[in-house]
Amino acid sequence: MAGKGGKQSRSSSGLSGRKGAGDQEEEEQPLQAVLVADSFNRRFFPVTKDQPRALLPLGNVAMIDYTLEFLTSTGVQETFVFCCWMASKIKEHLLKSKWCRPTSPNTVHIITSEMYRSLGDVLRDVDAKSLVRSDFVLVYGDVVSNVDISQALQEHRHRRKMDKNISVMTMICKESSPGHKSRCEEDDVIVAMDSRSQRILHYHKTQGLKRLQFPVNIFHSGSNEFEIRHDLLDCHISICSPQVAELFTDNFDYQTRNDFVRGILVNEEILGNQIHMHVTKDGYGVRVSNLLMYDSVSSDLVRRWVYPLTPEANFVDQKGRSCTYSRHNVYRGSGVSLGHGSQMEENVLIGCDTSIGANCYISNSVIGNNCTIGDNVNLDHAYIWNNVHIASNVVISQSVVCDKVEVKTGVTLNKQCVLAYNVVIGPDISLPEGTVVSMHHPDEEEDEDDDEFLSDDAEVGHSKDKTKLKAFNPAEVGAEGKGYIWKASSLDDTEDEELVRKNCESEDSEPDDPDDPVIPSPETDDVKVFQMEVLGTLQRGLEENIGFDNLVLEINSLKYAYNITMKEVIQILTSVVLEYPFQQQGPQLTPAQYVALLLPLLKKWAPVFKNYVKRVQDHLDCLSAFEEHFLEQDSHWPAMVKVLMNMYQLEILEEETILRWFSQGATTDKSRQLRKNQGVRTGHTAL
Amino acid sequence: MELQAVLMAAGGGSRMTDLTYNTPKAMLPVGNKPLMWYPLNLLERMGFEEVIVITTKEVQKMMSTDPKMKLDVKMKLDVVCIQEDGDMGTADALRHIQQKIKTDILVVSCDLITDVALHEVVDLFRAHNATLAMLMSKAHEFTETVPGQKGKKKTAEQRDFVGVDQSGKRLLFMANEADLEDGLSIRKSIMRKHPRMHIKTGLVDAHLYCLKKAVVDFLADNKSISSIRGELVPYLVRKQFSKTTNCPKIKDDAEDQNQKKNDGSTNHELLISSRDEPLLQLAQDRSCWNDHRGDMSEAYHGGKLRCYVHIMDEGPCYRVNTLAAYIEANRLAPKLFEEVPVHPSAVISERCQMGSDSYIGAMCQIADKTSIKRSTIGNSTTVKEKVKVANSIIMHGVTIEEGCNIQGSVICSNAVIGRGADLKYCLVGNGQQIEPEAERTNEVIVGADQLMEI
Repeated sequence: MAGKGGKQSRSSSGLSGRKGAGDQEEEEQPLQAVLVADSFNRRFFPVTKDQPRALLPLGNVAMIDYTLEFLTSTGVQETFVFCCWMASKIKEHLLKSKWCRPTSPNTVHIITSEMYRSLGDVLRDVDAKSLVRSDFVLVYGDVVSNVDISQALQEHRHRRKMDKNISVMTMICKESSPGHKSRCEEDDVIVAMDSRSQRILHYHKTQGLKRLQFPVNIFHSGSNEFEIRHDLLDCHISICSPQVAELFTDNFDYQTRNDFVRGILVNEEILGNQIHMHVTKDGYGVRVSNLLMYDSVSSDLVRRWVYPLTPEANFVDQKGRSCTYSRHNVYRGSGVSLGHGSQMEENVLIGCDTSIGANCYISNSVIGNNCTIGDNVNLDHAYIWNNVHIASNVVISQSVVCDKVEVKTGVTLNKQCVLAYNVVIGPDISLPEGTVVSMHHPDEEEDEDDDEFLSDDAEVGHSKDKTKLKAFNPAEVGAEGKGYIWKASSLDDTEDEELVRKNCESEDSEPDDPDDPVIPSPETDDVKVFQMEVLGTLQRGLEENIGFDNLVLEINSLKYAYNITMKEVIQILTSVVLEYPFQQQGPQLTPAQYVALLLPLLKKWAPVFKNYVKRVQDHLDCLSAFEEHFLEQDSHWPAMVKVLMNMYQLEILEEETILRWFSQGATTDKSRQLRKNQGVRTGHTAL
Repeated sequence: MELQAVLMAAGGGSRMTDLTYNTPKAMLPVGNKPLMWYPLNLLERMGFEEVIVITTKEVQKMMSTDPKMKLDVKMKLDVVCIQEDGDMGTADALRHIQQKIKTDILVVSCDLITDVALHEVVDLFRAHNATLAMLMSKAHEFTETVPGQKGKKKTAEQRDFVGVDQSGKRLLFMANEADLEDGLSIRKSIMRKHPRMHIKTGLVDAHLYCLKKAVVDFLADNKSISSIRGELVPYLVRKQFSKTTNCPKIKDDAEDQNQKKNDGSTNHELLISSRDEPLLQLAQDRSCWNDHRGDMSEAYHGGKLRCYVHIMDEGPCYRVNTLAAYIEANRLAPKLFEEVPVHPSAVISERCQMGSDSYIGAMCQIADKTSIKRSTIGNSTTVKEKVKVANSIIMHGVTIEEGCNIQGSVICSNAVIGRGADLKYCLVGNGQQIEPEAERTNEVIVGADQLMEI
């Protein structure tokens, strides 16, 4: 019965046909899905402090509704929604929605727990409760898609039938070239796969990488044709075998799907599990993983790329939420009033009962329900949620304005601003690019928890009392404004992304690599760490008055630990000691102060030096480090001769080598200059 | 003249020394024709009228005495000799003849036997104004038993990884497995330009290259590159994506650095520009054609250096550089060129059983009661009575005495097989004498002096 009902509604819902799969499916179990209605990250902070991400409106419909519509239209008959952060809100939303009506072809079970910290936890719970019986679809609650996965499903089942249970997962990817708007720089992946079997051999995120590395052993799989693809957009939709849940249980360190995929690929030879890929050429499938993606998905939605999930379709079947669609992708809800001379240029969606004043100019924007917008307002790429009041003479570009925000007159929001729930801004203020304002004080979360896996908890109310104490800064939010500026915002990430993108482009301009590409040696890092450690050792030596032989012992063990050559030890030791006064007192020391601080130190550490600086070459190494140090600190040249003299008197350096250094060493202009320095010359003659 | 053809025929055949001990590789008989006839024929069919042949003195001498060469090739051969022991690579050879090169060139190796439609490669070269266009083919499995080889020898050679773009034509990546111990590494910028790269491993490089004249000039300035396949091609493939060659207006400091790196030698950068450069540029600017999709950047992403490859999907393409390939080529080459099975000047007894897939060379004498199947018999060879030859290659001037049984073997020129000998899967070296009634199986029989070498 349920199966039949499901199919009927499928054809009535009008999504792309799946006639072929129908016959086969009847013998099989009804298709199940696991929907994770929590992102387990803070990309949308601080907006998600008040509303879970799955319920954030996208084109005036909660994101989770898109995901559920996608699942239902693809033939899923049973969906388990896992909620954690603000689970009650999600539950409330779902219970009211059409998914929980008795006629729904897709039975929705809501499972909530405060204990979920990651996707891994959810799937371990799926296993513990043995919820799934056969292959299931795994999605996040913020996936917007109209991809037809029936073919992928068939392929997946076929593969499982052919090789008993070897293929555990089929990932759905969409072809889209790099730099495409719907691709998220953060989620960019590079995939190596077998051309024939579509088996994934290597899967890697590419963010921040310049070179992409593939281990050779992935090419030993017997095939002789491989593909390396960078034109794939991960839809974050995966078809999983029931073993996936078991594998998560077996490997308690798997947190994300990425961990899982990497784990399966690395252990492929041991466990024999494989992951396959289904690439779809058409269709739309994107995860709204950050605000940048929110922007591009919203505009794609308004531009009807996600057909049949269009704004006027009202697929959530809410009463009074229908809207009309007219030319240039302009959508108007019922009860919208538009003032005289106001223009809706293109790609505009306006929710119900929203009133717009006169002489407004609106383009590429989404406005929610029950908003009031004043006169002479200019909106471009603005995402205005519900019950927002915008006064006159406001300019908003590429920004998100959440529920119940009040924007007073004369406010300008530059690009990438976010006004979280209930914020009041203005009047007459211009927020710089990337400003994030929230009613929650940025510090309050630090008080609450440091656990990064926490998707946050319900103590917001309790901390509100504290925030009341802190006053709003009128310079930041305007004279009548309410809200705090967030500095470390999720929008910073988007800016980072743009930077990354720029880097990628500039990378092209790098000169051609020599025939053998220079491999950045890990030694350089080691040397730095070693330097830090030596500094720490000497510092401690001073504080705790440790004897020189123990210092030497410690430095020796560090030398072995970081695999440092003797030459480097001498140079680093010299530079650390010479830097030491600056390190302690800051760079503004005068030469006289510097000498006064350094000389006692030199005397103290002379035995350490003597232990290392023995041969002639050692002396020269020490001197070269000495020279390097003073080349950088040219204001301290007057101090140089005193230090040198002192080192000579302490018998760290010998006369002969100093003379040799003086006569030979000059290679650059500056070092020549350094030697000409009056002090050194006299010192030289003094020797 | 659009292209000048260059035939590289100086190779020694270092991977089949047993065969090439006395006969240079270019002169090894395949289907009773010297090996180098096949690439020459390919060029002739293509319409070339002149070929520069780079070879050794020895080969040149043999060429002037070999009647076949004179008969069949109508093209004008410009033979350039290089020192035999000079250890010159193919790129060195190109540098050697730089003075003769006036246009773009087509380089062919003497050991290529194929019926490829050569215009496919040249068309790629023309259509994309490419710097390099080359030919590759799917690797063939050799099925014949190889003399002197115990069991199935696995091809110990390491695979080449060839990366092409979605169209399968643009060459993006090339590396040998041996160089990939640390894993295969590709720059992200390349993946951004060509987001879908096909990596193929089972390919044979046919050693047929179309090269711009500028490349030859570049070689003249860069003496360190000595082999086309080993160094020049990988270099060009890599160079496609470096900015220095892509944009002519390099920043001054970058140029300085290059100058420093080059240490005074004249011109290490490859200057890819042709006479019609401004015109081509204009055409490209005005055209809405693009070689890629997915982003809005100009065709070829502004790159001036471009490498293309034509990959043969089917049809024969052999490089005769191993014994196994040699045997395979002997079996297939005559069919490919519809050879007459029996040369008119051969004398064959009527009471000789001869399979239709055997080829008898000029001046042969085949006596009574012989049986010859799936074999090639070279010029001036004498086969006495009651001899059975099957699946074998007999070169020129061999004498096979009565009652011999020869199966699956290769017998080099001027060998004498004694009466009643039984050879199975053997290789008999040049001028060897096999004693009568000998029974040999799976052996390589060469002279003592030949063994000393190596």
